[in-house]
Amino acid sequence: MSNFMQVLIDGLLSGLLYALVSAGLSMIWGVMDVINFAHGEFLMVAMYICYWLGFILKIDPLFTWVASGIFLFILGAVTYRWIVKGSLGKAAMAPLLATFGLSMLLKNFCMNRFSPNFRLLSGTLLDGKTFEFCGAIISLPQFVTGIFSLIVVAALYWLVKKTRLGWAIQATAMDKEAAELMGIDTEKIFLLVFGLGGACVGVAGGLMTTYLAVHPEVGGLFSLIAFVVVALGGFGSIPGAFAAAILIGLVESFTGFYVAAVLKYVAVFAIYLVVILVRPKGLFGW
Amino acid sequence: MKQSKRTVFIAMLALAAIFVSSAAFAAEEIKVGALFPLTGPAAVSGQNCVNAVQAAVEVINKKNADINDPLAAQEGLVGGKYVIKVVPADHQGKPDVAKSEAERLYNQEKVFAIIGCYNSSATKPASAVAERAKKLFLCGCSSSAALTERGYKYFFRHAPTDAIESVEFVDYIAYLNKEKNAGIKTLGIIYENTEFGKHAAEEAVKAAKKIDLKIVADVPFNNGATNLNSEVQKLKSANPDVVFGAALGGDYSLWVRTMKQVNWLPKMAINYCTGYQNPAVQKELGSDGNFFMGGMGYSPELAKQFMPEGIKIQDKYYTPKSNQPFDSDSIQEAVMMMVLAQAIEKAGGPDTEKVREIIATQEFPSTMSLSGKVKFSPDGQNAEALSVITQLHEQSYKTVFPLKYKDFEPTIPMTPWDKR
Amino acid sequence: MTLTKKDKLWYGFIICAVILPFIPGVIGGGSFFGHVATMILLYAAMAQSWNIISGYGGQVSFGHSVFFGIGAYAAGLAVVTYETLPWYGVPLGMLTAAVVSILISYPCFRLKGHYFAIATFAIVEIFNRLFMIWDAVGGALGLDYPILDDGWKNFSWSDTKTGYYIGALAIFIVVFGIVRWIEKNRMGYYLLAVREGQETAESLGVNSTIVKLGAMALSAALAALCGAFFAQYNYRVDPPMVMSLDMSMKFVLITILGGIGTFWGPFLGALVLIPLQEYTRAYLTHLGAGVDLIIFGIIIIIVMIKEPRGMMGLLSYFNKGKKEGEAKL
Repeated sequence: MSNFMQVLIDGLLSGLLYALVSAGLSMIWGVMDVINFAHGEFLMVAMYICYWLGFILKIDPLFTWVASGIFLFILGAVTYRWIVKGSLGKAAMAPLLATFGLSMLLKNFCMNRFSPNFRLLSGTLLDGKTFEFCGAIISLPQFVTGIFSLIVVAALYWLVKKTRLGWAIQATAMDKEAAELMGIDTEKIFLLVFGLGGACVGVAGGLMTTYLAVHPEVGGLFSLIAFVVVALGGFGSIPGAFAAAILIGLVESFTGFYVAAVLKYVAVFAIYLVVILVRPKGLFGW
Repeated sequence: MKQSKRTVFIAMLALAAIFVSSAAFAAEEIKVGALFPLTGPAAVSGQNCVNAVQAAVEVINKKNADINDPLAAQEGLVGGKYVIKVVPADHQGKPDVAKSEAERLYNQEKVFAIIGCYNSSATKPASAVAERAKKLFLCGCSSSAALTERGYKYFFRHAPTDAIESVEFVDYIAYLNKEKNAGIKTLGIIYENTEFGKHAAEEAVKAAKKIDLKIVADVPFNNGATNLNSEVQKLKSANPDVVFGAALGGDYSLWVRTMKQVNWLPKMAINYCTGYQNPAVQKELGSDGNFFMGGMGYSPELAKQFMPEGIKIQDKYYTPKSNQPFDSDSIQEAVMMMVLAQAIEKAGGPDTEKVREIIATQEFPSTMSLSGKVKFSPDGQNAEALSVITQLHEQSYKTVFPLKYKDFEPTIPMTPWDKR
Repeated sequence: MTLTKKDKLWYGFIICAVILPFIPGVIGGGSFFGHVATMILLYAAMAQSWNIISGYGGQVSFGHSVFFGIGAYAAGLAVVTYETLPWYGVPLGMLTAAVVSILISYPCFRLKGHYFAIATFAIVEIFNRLFMIWDAVGGALGLDYPILDDGWKNFSWSDTKTGYYIGALAIFIVVFGIVRWIEKNRMGYYLLAVREGQETAESLGVNSTIVKLGAMALSAALAALCGAFFAQYNYRVDPPMVMSLDMSMKFVLITILGGIGTFWGPFLGALVLIPLQEYTRAYLTHLGAGVDLIIFGIIIIIVMIKEPRGMMGLLSYFNKGKKEGEAKL
């Protein structure tokens, strides 16, 4: 029974982390119909920022996530301005491939500058702290990341659904030309959306440094999972991505423990295929 | 189109020729390829290995009256007639690249021999190239036992294999059970699902049978995973007395931290040549890495005691290049360079067949090997390969087994997390 | 573009490529250029096989390493596990790849845009991880070739590249020849029609599902052929080497950089990328890790922003003058 609880909670916590990592990607996709292939590398950059801030200035990642969030907001906006904008509307997969080029660039730049060494902050505030809940042991860093995930996803949802800015974003997503006729500066909206997408992954990366090692390849699997999460959730649906992330986390955790650890990612990708074949537009897609 | 392609090619060849011939030497150069992962996930280790080979070459080529190594005192080889030149090459950790780079080194760069390749999966195809071309291939630290089970004639390997290490692990457990009443009956294996991890696990299973160690958990995992929660949970619920681990770099620290998180430890945890012996990983783990054990062919503590000349080489030539002491992988590549040079010296020149014959049959003194000598058995495996079991205490590797080298009373069982 | 000019280029190229091995010292022996030339032909053929479904057919697949891997495993299993000749493995591999591709594609063709792309990512990951644990095909250990006698029988040479070069050239001619034939044939027009508008094509009586499945099966079989060659060339097969996203991206990148949906695009892409990759690795290692990949990344970004039709687009820009270059989008 305690095994079951532990596996369940591990799955939920991984799911929350995946939700945080993919929230920004989902928003970008929903508004612009663009997949940012460099998403995983954005995550890596955010982790490096918080790692170096923690390592050199000894500031805990519990605070520096603000810095990485802001930096990634800028990186996202710059990526849109210089890379995505130029490739929009050209070939079908042009933005995806252009950002793939960016991901190669970022990954190998970090490899070249920081070496492929694994870097882990030790002695952070939350490091190694745990508490017990219903017979399961919960690690505090993961728990805090989970809480942040809930806050960020809720804030994004609120922003899109309840604010004037959000309505403008929605309008742009539905029909760019019509939105422009209504006086919405869609260019600014796109810039903002890309920046926000970056900021979300910046926050995620920052918090992850409290318990995960940073290295140039760290983004790889996370970005694949994020792709699966957003597609499973359905076109740009934030609640959809959230539900999908939790589902993926649970599938990973339960397969990992009850079937075989090597099969956990097979199950994650298989569940995507199964769901997507039944609902070709994802769980919450329209 | 063809014409332009050929022009480009000829121009490139000419450039390459200038590049190569520009270094004029009085003594004849013998080129030796150093084929390692200089980029990709294992790049740091690969770069260390190249530096180690280069350190060995400096000892060989220069006059080093202060180092007591067979080739240190004289300049070059065969009375100064030859010097060694290292040609570094990068295989990125990919078998196909290793194969084509090995071909380039032998055919284009005309190297006499190659030392490499760190990753077992890259060593395999690269040494197959050598065997087909009847050229020498010397391997320092690739540990897959399969490498020396292929019946190759031109392949020699210094490192103890997973098989040797596994046997030593269970010998140690048998000793503990008998002498110290440790009561270790069950075994869990956690390993990355790659060529390296799988080999190690297979050998562990074979070795465990010998002393009726019951395997209660066999947990392969995907390397580079986002978390190891379910893997560790599986170990915890099976609760083995001892765990054999084969996890590299970041996966190793993730594994240790996840065990801390679920507040579980076996009585003993012994690692193959992995993240455990990487000082950088241990530095990040800090005191969490304490009391774990692992097989090693080298440690700074052992070196002080058993290989003083190796330390001199390290301080004079290796550390200035790589800003760190030798580790158990890189030093073995340096040893292979030394063995090759000694064999060339004895053969009187770079004659592949003669040198091969000498490497295969003779025993070589080695100041950088724990056993002090290197001798290859007919399959190309170093019969004198020694590995010791160490336990980590505050980032220092204490030797606990074999008893001949023991300098420390190990903490068994490991101190639980909540009592640290 | 006139067909005759294209024909001239095509036959002229083949003649040049066939003569190359007869010039002593260029391909033969173990020359590095021989290796690079072989790789250019092989990767061009791989990219062209991908181009059939993704360029001409408009279904951008990131899953071709699965078919490539199946071909590689077929050759590897024939040689290593069954100890026979690789030649028996090749047709079986091509057939298996075609069947697998149909089984996968039939449901996946319903997916649109990014849903399809991500589904193909997922398929690669699933195959990769399953092959990693499937012991009958060597699992994570992979399949290592024993040392075989040189010659065409085993399709294996140790001291010369000529045989491999001829083999790669044969594959190149087969793949490009098939695409030439498709381009001029009804199948090609159907494919283009489906790419431009599935509904319109169907209203004209084209069975889009059959057309797409046929193109996919053909594409997969040709990719498997290249995979078998790759295994023979490297004496080894393992999942990260042949069945990975990295390998899939090579199919995509070469074609995209050369010019997607064009006949010469895949060859142009391979002609530029492969030497860049091989020579930077051989001669730029002193600059530090990953420099060649940083250059790749920058090239990809620039091409995608400035000229999504790749180098073919740049060529036509030079050929037809600025005016037309600006007129197109």
